[in-house]
Amino acid sequence: MKRTLAQSLALYGVVTLTVAMILFPVYWLVVTAVTTTDELYRLPPTFWPDNPQWDVFVRVWEARPILKWLANSTLAALGSVALSMLVSVSAGYALSRYSMKGGATMGLFVLTAKMLPATLLVIPLFSIFSRMGLVGSLWTLVLAHSTMIIPFATWMLKGYFDTIPRELEQAAMVDGCSPVGAMLRVVLPIATPGLAATALYAFVLSWADYAYARTFLVNSPDNWTANLGITTMQGEYVTYWNEIAAASVFVALPIIAIYLFLERYLVGGLTAGAEK
Amino acid sequence: MTDTPVVGHRKFLDLARPSRQHLLGYILIAPAVLMVAAIIVWPLFVALDLSFQQVKIPRLGAAGKPFSLANYRWLFNSREFWLACWVTLKLVVVVTAGSVLVGLGTALLVNNRFRGRTVARLGMALPWAVPEIIAVVIFAWMFDSSFGLFGWLAVQLGLAGQMIPWVSNAGAAFWAVAITMIWKGFPFVSIMCLAGLQSIPADYYAAAKVDGAGVWQRFRWITMPLLMPVLGVTVVLTLLWVFRDFSIIKVLTGGGPLRSTQTLSIMTYDQAFQYHNFGRAAAVGVLTLVICVLASLLMLGRRSRSIY
Amino acid sequence: MANISIRNVSKSYGSLKVLEPFSLEIENGEFVVLVGPSGCGKSTMLKILAGLEPATEGRIIIGGREVTDLAPGDRDIAMVFQNYALYPHLTVRQNIGFGLKMRGTARAEIDRRVEDAARILEVTPYLDRKPKDLSGGQRQRVALGRAIVRQPQAFLMDEPLSNLDAKLRVHMRAEIGALHKRIGVTTVYVTHDQVEAMTMADRVVIMQDGIIQQIATPDELFNSPANLFVASFIGSPGMNFLNAELKGGRLTLFGREVTMLGATAHEGRVVVGLRPEHLLLGEAPVTFPVRPTLVESLGSEKYVYFDAEGARLNEGDEGRSKGLIARVSHSGSLSKDEDLVLGFDPERLYLFNAETEQRL
Repeated sequence: MKRTLAQSLALYGVVTLTVAMILFPVYWLVVTAVTTTDELYRLPPTFWPDNPQWDVFVRVWEARPILKWLANSTLAALGSVALSMLVSVSAGYALSRYSMKGGATMGLFVLTAKMLPATLLVIPLFSIFSRMGLVGSLWTLVLAHSTMIIPFATWMLKGYFDTIPRELEQAAMVDGCSPVGAMLRVVLPIATPGLAATALYAFVLSWADYAYARTFLVNSPDNWTANLGITTMQGEYVTYWNEIAAASVFVALPIIAIYLFLERYLVGGLTAGAEK
Repeated sequence: MTDTPVVGHRKFLDLARPSRQHLLGYILIAPAVLMVAAIIVWPLFVALDLSFQQVKIPRLGAAGKPFSLANYRWLFNSREFWLACWVTLKLVVVVTAGSVLVGLGTALLVNNRFRGRTVARLGMALPWAVPEIIAVVIFAWMFDSSFGLFGWLAVQLGLAGQMIPWVSNAGAAFWAVAITMIWKGFPFVSIMCLAGLQSIPADYYAAAKVDGAGVWQRFRWITMPLLMPVLGVTVVLTLLWVFRDFSIIKVLTGGGPLRSTQTLSIMTYDQAFQYHNFGRAAAVGVLTLVICVLASLLMLGRRSRSIY
Repeated sequence: MANISIRNVSKSYGSLKVLEPFSLEIENGEFVVLVGPSGCGKSTMLKILAGLEPATEGRIIIGGREVTDLAPGDRDIAMVFQNYALYPHLTVRQNIGFGLKMRGTARAEIDRRVEDAARILEVTPYLDRKPKDLSGGQRQRVALGRAIVRQPQAFLMDEPLSNLDAKLRVHMRAEIGALHKRIGVTTVYVTHDQVEAMTMADRVVIMQDGIIQQIATPDELFNSPANLFVASFIGSPGMNFLNAELKGGRLTLFGREVTMLGATAHEGRVVVGLRPEHLLLGEAPVTFPVRPTLVESLGSEKYVYFDAEGARLNEGDEGRSKGLIARVSHSGSLSKDEDLVLGFDPERLYLFNAETEQRL
C-alpha cells in the first residue's frame, strides 16, 4: 500500500508528537537535574536552562552513597534472580515434561500467587523476618523478591520448555544420556534465550521493588536500595529537586539501558504468556 | 557387535529406566514446592491467622490471641474501608481505561510501516522501563504546588485561575496519581497489543480490502475481534497491577489528602506499619486478595489460565 | 545385530487401554513395519521398545538380553524421529557423534566413525553446519547418520518420512531400503502410510485401536487380508465393498447372480470386497453395464467411478465417497455419461462376515 505524501507527513507528524509527549517527563527529569536551584523555583518554568550545571551529577554522586545504593539493588536482584531461577528452571521443566499428580492444583496456586498483593505478604514476612533477626539485611529482599519471581518465572519457563520438542530429549536418552543429562546438555542450551529473557525480566522486577525494601531496610541505611535511597532525599526540610532528579537519572539509567539494548528479550518474556 | 558395556544394572537410582522416569518430575519440582511453601504459603497462613486475631504487633512464636472476627467486623463498619474500596475502584477504572486507550492507540500507530518505526516503538514503550519510584519523582515535581509544570500549564491554558495545590486538594491528588499511573502503565498495554497486532496475518486485511472494506471496517471486523483475547488478558493484568500497586501512591501522596487516594493496598500497609494494627492490616490484605482472585476469575473465566 | 522378542506387552493409562497385549518375534536383520491409522498404538509400541515409555505389562528381549526395564541408552538401539530431533545447538558432526561421546568413545574413534557414516549418507560437505542450515532431506540423512554411527543392535524409526514432500519421500524410501540391505540391521519402522509399509517391509504388522489386525508379508496382506479393516487399509485406490446376501454359495452382485466356488458354509449377510484393479473392461467371466459418474485419466490407466446397488460407501475415505472405482488399463478415451461394460472374475472376490468383519 503506497501512501500519498500528505498521508506520510501526517503519519510522521502524529508519531513524532506522540513520542515527544510520552518522553517529555524523561526529558523534564534531565532538565530539572541540570537547572540551578534559582532557576528551578521560578515561573514560567525553564524549558532549557541558560547555564546547564552538569556538575550536579558529580555533586550528587559525592554527596549521596549512590554507588552503594545501586550496588545493594544489584545484589538483591542478583541474589533473588539466582535463587528463583534455580528452583524455577527445574520446576518449569518438570511441569512442562511430566504429568504429575497435583499438577493442576499447582497451576491454580501459581495463578493465585501472581495476584498476591505485596502489601499483604509483607505483613507476615515482616513478622517472620523479625523473629529470625533478618530485618535490616539484604537477605530479606532476596527472599521477598523470590515470592514475586518464582511463580511467574516457573510458568514463563514452562512455556519456553513447551516449545522445545520432547523428541530432542528422547533422542538424547537413546543416545545414552540420563534424563538429567538430556536436560542439561540438550534442553537448557536450546532454551538459553528463554532463560535469559526470564532472568532479565526477573532482574527488572526485583530492581523496581520499593515496598519490601522500605519495610525491611528503612532503619539500615547501609543496605538501602536505589529506590529506597531516592525517596529519602525527598522532603527532609526543603526538597532540592535538581539533586533528586540527578540521583534519579543514575538509578533509572541501568534499567533503561537494559531496556534499550535487550528490548527484544524483555518484550519476548512479557508477551510470551499472552499470545497462546 | 556391541561396544556398549551394560551399565544399567550398576547405576544407583537409574532414573533413565522406563519404570522410574516419572519420578524425576517430582524430584525436579520439589525445590520449588518447598520454597513456595516456605516463603508464600506459610506466610499466607500466618497472615490469615493474624486477620482473625486482635493483635497490634505480632510476636511470632508467642501464644496467639484467641480467634476473633473483630478485625473484619471493624472493617465492615468503618467508613475508611468503604472509602478505600471506592477509591480503589475509581482508580482501577480510570487507570485501566486510560492505559488501554493510550496503549492501543500507540500500538496501532507503530503497527504502521514507516522508516524509524523501531525507534518510535522503543520510545513509546520507554516509560515501562522507568522504575516506578523514578516516575513518581518526575511527576511529583511536575505536580509541584508552587512551581510544577502542570499547574503552570493549567493556568496558561485558562483551565485554572491559579496554581493547583495538587497534593493537598483531594480531587486533584486523585488525578495526579491516575496520570502518573497511566504514564507508567500504558506501555505494557501497548507492547502486548503490538505483539497481538503483529500476529494477525496480513492476508486477512488483503482479503478484506478485496471485499471492499474501509479502514474503519477493517479495524472493527478484523483487528478488534482478533485482538480481543490479548486485550482481555492485558486489561486484567493492568487492573491487578493498579489494584495492588503500592509505591506510586505511597511516594506521591501517601494516600492523602484526607485518604482521598488511599487504596486498599495503601490501607493494608498503613494499618500495619503506620498504626501497628497488624490484625486489621492482615484482614484488609486478605480481602484484597479475595477481590483480586474473584475479579480476574469473573473477567476471564476459564481463560484465566492464560494469565500465566 | 539381534533379534527382538516382544512378549505380551500392553499399555494402559489408568483405565484407558492404548495397547492390547502385543507379541511379535522379529528375526535378526528383518525389516518390520508397524502400520495403522493415527492412534492405533504403533508409536506407543515403538516408544516402549525404545524404553522411552514403560510397558504396563509384558517383556522385551533384544539379542537375548532382557531390556524391559533398561534405560533407552542401555538398550543398544538407535532411533529416528519424525521431526528428526536433531540437536539444534550442535553441528552435524557433533549431532552424529553425540551418542558415541556419551558412551565415552575415544575422540579419534568418534571422528573416524562420524566420517564413515557421513560418507555412507553423503552428508560429508555439511558436517560443520548447524541443522537449521540444512534442507529437509539433508536433515533426514543426518538423523539416519546419527543412527548408523553407533552400529546398534536395532533401528527404530518413527514415521521418518512424513515431514518430507512427496517426491523426496519416494526417494528416501528407496534409500532407507538400500541402507537396510547394505548394513542389514534389524529395523522396526512405524508409519501410517500403507504404501511405505508395502514397499519397504519384510513383514508388516497392521494395527487398529491398540490391537494387531494381521502380521504378514506385503503380498500376503494384499492377497489374503484377514479382515475388513486390513482389506480396506491396504491397496490404492482402496478395495470396493458391497453388501450382499450369501445363500447356498450364491449371491447377487451388480444385478448378476454369482456362484462362489469353494465358498464357506456361511449363510446370510456378507460384505463383498473387490479390488479396483480386478475390475476389467469388457471380457470377463461376469460382466455388467455401468454408467460412470466420473472418469479420471492417469494416461495409460483410467479410474472409473460408478454407483451400484449395495455399495458400502465409507464416509472418511476420500475415494470411496465418490462411489465404486474400477482401475482399468485403457489408453483411449472414456467419458462419463457413456455406458460401458465392466467385468470381474468371481475367484477374485473377497467375502467378509458382515458382523465380525472377519474374512470368510
